[in-house]
Amino acid sequence: MPVNRRDFLKMSGLFAAWSALSSCAPVVPILDSPTATPDSIATPTLPLDDEALIIHTLKRISFGATPAMIEKAKRIGIHAFIEEQLSPESISDDETKDMLEQFSTLTMTPAELFRLEKKGTPVQELIAATITRQWHSERQLFETMVDFWGNHFSIFIGKNFCKVLKTDDDQKVIRPNALGKFRDLLHASAHSPAMLVYLDQAESRGESPNENYARELMELHTVGVDSGYSHHDVAELARVLTGWTITRPRNRKTEPGIYEFNPEIHDNGEKHVMHMMISPGGEDEGTQVLDMLASHASTAQFISSKLARRFVSDSPSPELVDALSNVFIQSDGDTRQTLRALFDSESFKASAGQKFKKPLDFFISALRLTDTTVKRSTRGLQEHLRLLGQVPFTWQPPDGFPDNEEYWATTSGLLERWNFGLLLMSNQIKGAEVDLKALTKDAASPEDVVSVLSLRFLGEQLPDDARSIMVDFASSGNIEDNIPSIAGLILGSPHFQVR
Amino acid sequence: MDTKLSRRDFLKLAGSFAVAPALPTWMPRMAFAPQGVEPPGDILVVVFQRGGMDGISAVIPHGDGDYYQHRSALAIPEPEDGSDQTGIDLDGFFGLHPSLRPLKDLWDEKTLAIVHAVGSPDPTHSHFDAMDYMERGTPGEKSIPTGWIGRHLQTAPWQNESPFRAIGMGGVMQAALRGPIPVTTLKSISDFHLQGDVSQLTEIRARLESLYNLGSTLDAEAMETFNAVDMLDKIDVTNYTPSGAAVYPETEFGMAMKQVAQIAKAEIGLEVACVDIGGWDTHNQQGQLEGELPTLLNEFSSGLASLYHDLGDRAERVTIVTMSEFGRRVRENGSEGTDHGHGNCMFVLGGGVNGGKVYGEWPGLAPEKLFDGIDLDIKTDYRHVLGEVVEKRLKNPSLGEVFPTYSDWKNLGIVQG
Repeated sequence: MPVNRRDFLKMSGLFAAWSALSSCAPVVPILDSPTATPDSIATPTLPLDDEALIIHTLKRISFGATPAMIEKAKRIGIHAFIEEQLSPESISDDETKDMLEQFSTLTMTPAELFRLEKKGTPVQELIAATITRQWHSERQLFETMVDFWGNHFSIFIGKNFCKVLKTDDDQKVIRPNALGKFRDLLHASAHSPAMLVYLDQAESRGESPNENYARELMELHTVGVDSGYSHHDVAELARVLTGWTITRPRNRKTEPGIYEFNPEIHDNGEKHVMHMMISPGGEDEGTQVLDMLASHASTAQFISSKLARRFVSDSPSPELVDALSNVFIQSDGDTRQTLRALFDSESFKASAGQKFKKPLDFFISALRLTDTTVKRSTRGLQEHLRLLGQVPFTWQPPDGFPDNEEYWATTSGLLERWNFGLLLMSNQIKGAEVDLKALTKDAASPEDVVSVLSLRFLGEQLPDDARSIMVDFASSGNIEDNIPSIAGLILGSPHFQVR
Repeated sequence: MDTKLSRRDFLKLAGSFAVAPALPTWMPRMAFAPQGVEPPGDILVVVFQRGGMDGISAVIPHGDGDYYQHRSALAIPEPEDGSDQTGIDLDGFFGLHPSLRPLKDLWDEKTLAIVHAVGSPDPTHSHFDAMDYMERGTPGEKSIPTGWIGRHLQTAPWQNESPFRAIGMGGVMQAALRGPIPVTTLKSISDFHLQGDVSQLTEIRARLESLYNLGSTLDAEAMETFNAVDMLDKIDVTNYTPSGAAVYPETEFGMAMKQVAQIAKAEIGLEVACVDIGGWDTHNQQGQLEGELPTLLNEFSSGLASLYHDLGDRAERVTIVTMSEFGRRVRENGSEGTDHGHGNCMFVLGGGVNGGKVYGEWPGLAPEKLFDGIDLDIKTDYRHVLGEVVEKRLKNPSLGEVFPTYSDWKNLGIVQG
């Protein structure tokens, strides 16, 4: 029986230690670099100079632009930096790899996972590993795309077998294909035991098919709801996919939790899906339809518009979406090529500060940019991520966490962000530690403290009006005593809520 | 392309109407009581059952023989007196699922009405489109960016500047609330205060107010947050004991309903609360008398009943309405679940409800009577139900603006007034 989100959160206790290690990225002195044009979240954005373009790009392709990233991008150029990020295998990431070794369930097979006594362990470890990677990995664009596709092919980790099988989906479906061809990703997802369980495809039988997966395959994974298919198309696709199921944990003859096509429950009649006639062909029928959907023009539009919303703005221009869609089609659904075109577009370059950070973006960027370290328990941090509202894989409906300001910029949402920033910086979150002395270095005057912290957290100085509010605060009373609140306020400022 | 106007665009357009800071924002705000005219009507609580509730399992048409033809594993048995393994008879034709037992007393005392074969007429089977249409109040039409409750608040002939005029529980702003009137979202009343270095909170608060007064798109939302924090500061949140022997379910939904009662009793200007309860998308093994759906129905009904009982005399001035984006397929599928359907049922509860009756024409479940050959047909547009509540209980006569694409109004007599 499916476990609902509440039970699941109660039951799992959530997250093992994310990492006891600290990120020891060198702090690069960049104070003397020319001051960038501040991102403005109120006025139309002007064309950016080189440095501002670097900062803007890094904020979008990562979970937080650290001094080390900024320094490197300045040194090798933003174009080369993006190219390197697009080939994550070329980036050494040993430190992250070491941190992940504590999560033993990450590389287990479904059979091994099913044998575990505590079914909550793989859930805790996958969530913890995901956050560890987003926080520490050098392959930031790759992790950004893993997050993107993980939400596109969203699976609620609390639903029965998904507790063990989402680990397998992450490992074999999302991560290997995050920067590859959409067709491969789609096929992999359609064979993913976790997806087949989550959307009930594994239970669908020929005589009376279950339509859940067929519907979302069209509506959410490929062509989109406005592409003109009918309810009849959904019902026909459900017939096509009958027999796409998984091996059961109780069946002792086979290894459990593996995709299998079961011809005995497949509907062998002729079908028609979106004007395509499908002759009886068993498993191959589904393969044909997946190919058709992967190369459908509506899919190119749908994926392009989601990428543009992720990387550019909540309402990207139709021209941008069309341009990306053309690249997507011409490159046979190549994510790398489409991203290159996106980062190269004028729309992208002119969109600095226009994306509101999702709670997870906010949370991870705060941890990255403050060099937070974890001492023993992450319980305190866990609780804040829950309050912020975006523990990975806990979105129950199949459409993935929303990625827009309208959904997340709420009263309670803002309050949680302010509180997280202020508590983190005053070292009041249990198990988390921030070394403000290291962050502020030699800064002693109110002006210098505000400058150093702004540059560190925002990659640039605060605009003058906000800066003078902060300097005024820093000048009231003892500067030493004020530093935690100054730092917390910058994390709570409107400027830190956008990327 | 999507050209919808965001709430913040609205706030800009609405200008001083929505939020009118007369004082410099860095000054400590005076705690304020709701200004202007006292709202003349009820408090409205809208419960949205996300995922598509199986309406013919919740309120079973046991008098319709076709019901038992379509459902072999999932049909709820015909009512038998004294049994908790059968439906609970309501009127000889309809009955409640046994897991909705907490609603039976309310039915008997005629404060609970049910509308059946009701819903949004758009035929979509997409959760997301169906919810979107329902919450906009304009089925089939996405060009109007506001929600039906947002337009109600906007057109109501009274003013109420309380930050708790409209609240979205669960920390989200439900799409029905979209519009120019600010909405406070809440997860937990007791956590709704500023934290940090306690010796500096006053200073921190002042600087935050200044930082959110520099023209960012977040300014209005931040102002709303400060106002809400100030107001909740005056409520004793730690010692709340529900009245009327109400025992709320220990779930997010139960806690949300309890906090609605708390805010309603605090008399801080509450007019509308939106509460969500998810998990209704029961494609697989939904359960007949036990299991996924029965568990949810029990949580749902005890949440509704607890709120009603907890409110005591105040329930005279509260109306609770429930809805779900669509019902489920009449015929069960091969995995003992149900796929996305069309018609559904709604519950209307409150002191001003003409309860003890199932409203709406019943289309029947004979194959030729089904919508598109598969689904329960819709004989009552859900806007009739909401329209009546808006006009008679909330005392807002502007139905043409609340539901701009609808004009074929019928008076069902579900509520008094």
